[in-house]
Amino acid sequence: MKDYFRYFKWVYILFAAVAIFTAALYGGHWGLAKMADYQRTNESCATKERVFDYADVLSDKEENSLRELIAKREKQTGCDIVLVTLDEPLEEYARAIEPNVISSEFVRVYAERQWEEVGFGYDQPDGDGVILVDNWSREDDGRIHTWFCTTGRARDAYYTDDIDHLLDRVYRYVEDNPYRAYKTYINDFYHDMMGWRLCHLNVPGFVPVLIGFITCVIFIALNWSSKEGRKTTTATTYVAGRQPEFRVSGDRFLRKTVTKHKIQTSSGGGGGGHSHGGGGGHHGGGGHSR
Amino acid sequence: MLFKCKNCGGNTVYSPERGKMYCPHCESTDSEEKIGDNSLAQCVNCGAPLQLSEYTSSCRCEHCGTYLIFDERVSAPYEPRMILPFGVGKEMAVAQLEKEFSNRLFAPSDFMSAKSLEKMEGIYVPFWLYDYDVNYDFAGEGTRIRTWRSGDTEYTETSYFEVIRKMDADFERVPVDASYVMADGVMDLMEPYDYRALADFVPQYMSGFLSERYNQQAEELSGRAEGKVKEASESLMQGSLSGYTSMRTYHRNLNLQKKNDCYALMPVWQYVYRYRDQTYLYHVNGQTGKVVGTTPVSKAKVIAYGVSVFAIVTMICGMLVQAFEIL
Repeated sequence: MKDYFRYFKWVYILFAAVAIFTAALYGGHWGLAKMADYQRTNESCATKERVFDYADVLSDKEENSLRELIAKREKQTGCDIVLVTLDEPLEEYARAIEPNVISSEFVRVYAERQWEEVGFGYDQPDGDGVILVDNWSREDDGRIHTWFCTTGRARDAYYTDDIDHLLDRVYRYVEDNPYRAYKTYINDFYHDMMGWRLCHLNVPGFVPVLIGFITCVIFIALNWSSKEGRKTTTATTYVAGRQPEFRVSGDRFLRKTVTKHKIQTSSGGGGGGHSHGGGGGHHGGGGHSR
Repeated sequence: MLFKCKNCGGNTVYSPERGKMYCPHCESTDSEEKIGDNSLAQCVNCGAPLQLSEYTSSCRCEHCGTYLIFDERVSAPYEPRMILPFGVGKEMAVAQLEKEFSNRLFAPSDFMSAKSLEKMEGIYVPFWLYDYDVNYDFAGEGTRIRTWRSGDTEYTETSYFEVIRKMDADFERVPVDASYVMADGVMDLMEPYDYRALADFVPQYMSGFLSERYNQQAEELSGRAEGKVKEASESLMQGSLSGYTSMRTYHRNLNLQKKNDCYALMPVWQYVYRYRDQTYLYHVNGQTGKVVGTTPVSKAKVIAYGVSVFAIVTMICGMLVQAFEIL
């Protein structure tokens, strides 16, 4: 045991340092969340409802749970947080408002219009907040589209990468567990608004386990000393003077050839599923499709 | 023969630490007196019967502990020309083993304890040392390739060279063990020895150690020496051809000429450990202290250390991911 602790001394010290660092971050984060207590000043919003599950992908219990979470997070972030699930094609609706809108942004038109018509916004109608519209109906392009729309302070806080990160995390769960996906949307929005957002990692849960496993295998392989010993002689060990004599050592240039070829540059390409920007002037946001 | 102390009559032995003959009984040095007897059947000191192999040239009497050297096996035609005296004593050899074992993480903690040590002996192993002259001629065509880009075009320039090498090398005292008992691979790993300490053979160096006369003639073992010389020569030639992207060989001729061979005794400490009904053999170079041998693996240690590494790394990575998520 003594050998064990002596060997792992620095590893445990590193572990403790990382644990303290993480705990301090959590503590600071928790303290900030506790201190934040925004007062709602928008009295003109047409509804107090935040969860509109028209696609009926959530149970009543799940809807209530999300409502409670949203109420808490709204106070902490000072932003309205709205969730809409749909199960209907939006082409007709969107084209009536924006005739040239592309299919992946039908949901954007819907999200912005809903936000403005209902008068969402924590500080004022059409004010601070976010809305996630997840339309479970496939449009003519065969895809399901989702839009995350930001307004006011939320728009200022979100850049393209941040929106991608949030939607990536929502999409990680949405097919198998919509409740978890939408909960992630609410909590990630809260984290994004409360944190310092130095970087975004979109690391699946198994990755730390995989790194741990690979490190363990390498560690065991390195220390599994099956070799009897290292060879400690070299080619010159038994050579007199420790080096051979080269009576002749010639390198005579004969000829040279030069070939050339054009470098092919690729253009265009691939896959979709992401779109960014906002059409409504004061809205921001971005979408994903699946 | 055996060497007795003139002062107390005890058996004097060669002491690697002192570099001279030493009497462990009265602690006097260079007080040895040669007692001659050519008997292979019984101990010169106590008369107890001896059980010797065909090749044994010195042994320790199991009854009285006296080290005996057998004249007829250390004199012509079995007289070694040279001997490399032990420079590493028993204590230093044990320290070398402990140091080596401490680097072997998965060796059982109690492996090197006194209870698992079954036998520990200093042995002079018979070696043939060969001298070779090597002439190596090589001719070929080498290419060097350089690539660069200009605009959207990539250029590849290939330069061709005529490459000629004529190498001479004198290989001196290439060692090959001449003992059936000692594994060739293990003895090869014991190398190199520092030949500056080679001395003309005198039997005093053998007192206190076991030894064998050569088991095979020099001619029988020259093939192994040639293999070593060829391998080293190829490596030297290859080293002189570096810098080329590819090499086409036109002509390659390696010529070995054996010049000499010499019978010598080399010092090796041999340790036998018995652990969980398995025997583990270790050899320590009696001059340089280099250790050769495999250690058993403790499954409990592998599990304990492996699980610890897995758990700690997983938790550290998990915490870092969480921390970065907050940030």
